[in-house]
Amino acid sequence: MEGRPLDDAALVERARKGDVNAYEALVQQYQELAFRVAYQVTGDAPDAEDAAQEAFVNAYYALGRFRPGAPFRPWLCRIVVNEARNRRMSAHRRVVLAERAITAQASGEAAPSPEAAAEADAFRSTLVATLWQLREEDRLILAYRLFFDLSEAEMAQALKCPKGTVKSRLSRALARLREALPADLRLPSTAGERDG
Amino acid sequence: MADPRRMLDIALERALRSLAPHYPYPSTPDLASRVRGRITAQPIAAPRRVGLWRDPRRLALVAAVLLVLLGAAAVANPTTRDAIAHFFHVRGVIVNRVPSPLPSASPITSLDLGRRTTMEQAQSSVTFPIAVPSALGAPDGVYVDSGIPGGEVALAYKPRPGIPLVRQTGLGLLFSEFRGDLIPDFITKEVGPGTTVEETSVNGDPAWWIAGEPHTIIAQVAGQDGPHTLRLATNTLVWEHGGVTYRIESGLSKADAVRIAAGLP
Repeated sequence: MEGRPLDDAALVERARKGDVNAYEALVQQYQELAFRVAYQVTGDAPDAEDAAQEAFVNAYYALGRFRPGAPFRPWLCRIVVNEARNRRMSAHRRVVLAERAITAQASGEAAPSPEAAAEADAFRSTLVATLWQLREEDRLILAYRLFFDLSEAEMAQALKCPKGTVKSRLSRALARLREALPADLRLPSTAGERDG
Repeated sequence: MADPRRMLDIALERALRSLAPHYPYPSTPDLASRVRGRITAQPIAAPRRVGLWRDPRRLALVAAVLLVLLGAAAVANPTTRDAIAHFFHVRGVIVNRVPSPLPSASPITSLDLGRRTTMEQAQSSVTFPIAVPSALGAPDGVYVDSGIPGGEVALAYKPRPGIPLVRQTGLGLLFSEFRGDLIPDFITKEVGPGTTVEETSVNGDPAWWIAGEPHTIIAQVAGQDGPHTLRLATNTLVWEHGGVTYRIESGLSKADAVRIAAGLP
């Protein structure tokens, strides 16, 4: 079975009928996504783990309400985010985390690495730290699109918003990220030129 | 000439994409076996729950499943754990026993039912079929709030013979519906010593009857700023059917409220 996963719809259909193996396969397939989406909300690994696990259990019992043939991924994301929000850390802890990321950036700069690599590392650290300063909604929409590669249709389902507003929400989030970045931050020379 | 800000956004988008494989995530835990353990212990509950109350073993099974579903809320707010242990079977509502039902710090908000609209438009703004209590006839006002997951609809009925005025709402009866399955912690009810909370059922679905002294109702969507609603509420029947949580707030008796609820299509 490994390396040849059944497609989601078939697994969901079997899980709906109580096939625990099928559901376990779905969990295996999506646990990384679920955990990482939860982490984007909680910023804390134990909370994210808890939220992802709870979300999978909830999703299993909610399969009866899952529309057959609908994509599983955005539906799961929504449940994960709900769970994660219940465990979201305080604003204070988020600030601490952002500071930690900035400290990591500083130590990264001190590490003996070739100049370009150090520049890229520093840039990434700044991006990560700045993402944590954004509102959760903005961070999540950027992560859905750019980290987790959800399609616009999937994002609309995951965010429970009309498909037509996904693009504008995304570009507003991107604009807010840009405004939150340090004014003197330079994009690394490669980032702007490579094709995405 | 392209907008230079737009150019920067494109560059930023690419930078984010290239960050993806380097993002400092903690390592993903193995959830599959733990999830398997939990769902094997509690098979999917049968869809029909009629007769639940007459069969303690089945009740215990469904209760355990629902307790799992509400685990999140309990973790989020440990003080509600006791209340949830007793009243865990309606998603969307958490009941909290408090020494005084009056909110101490936060100001009380107005009724704020959302946007006044027509039944047709309300239906197109929410993700569940709107139920209208046939016993009450057409509502005097239809309100919709699409700011919460799945949307919320409130049907307002003016006082009339048989439906007394409720001071807290200025209405005779308020009927509201929202997706309790999507927002299991949407409403928190803080009930003081003068309020009774009683388990009951509506067409076999678990329900609560909250009556006596007015209680505080706080509606809030996690992640959104400030509570949606924070006010005093009076006698309320609340129940869930098919993922939708329904609420009747009125000056009616429990029997009358349950009769109206049971007549829903």
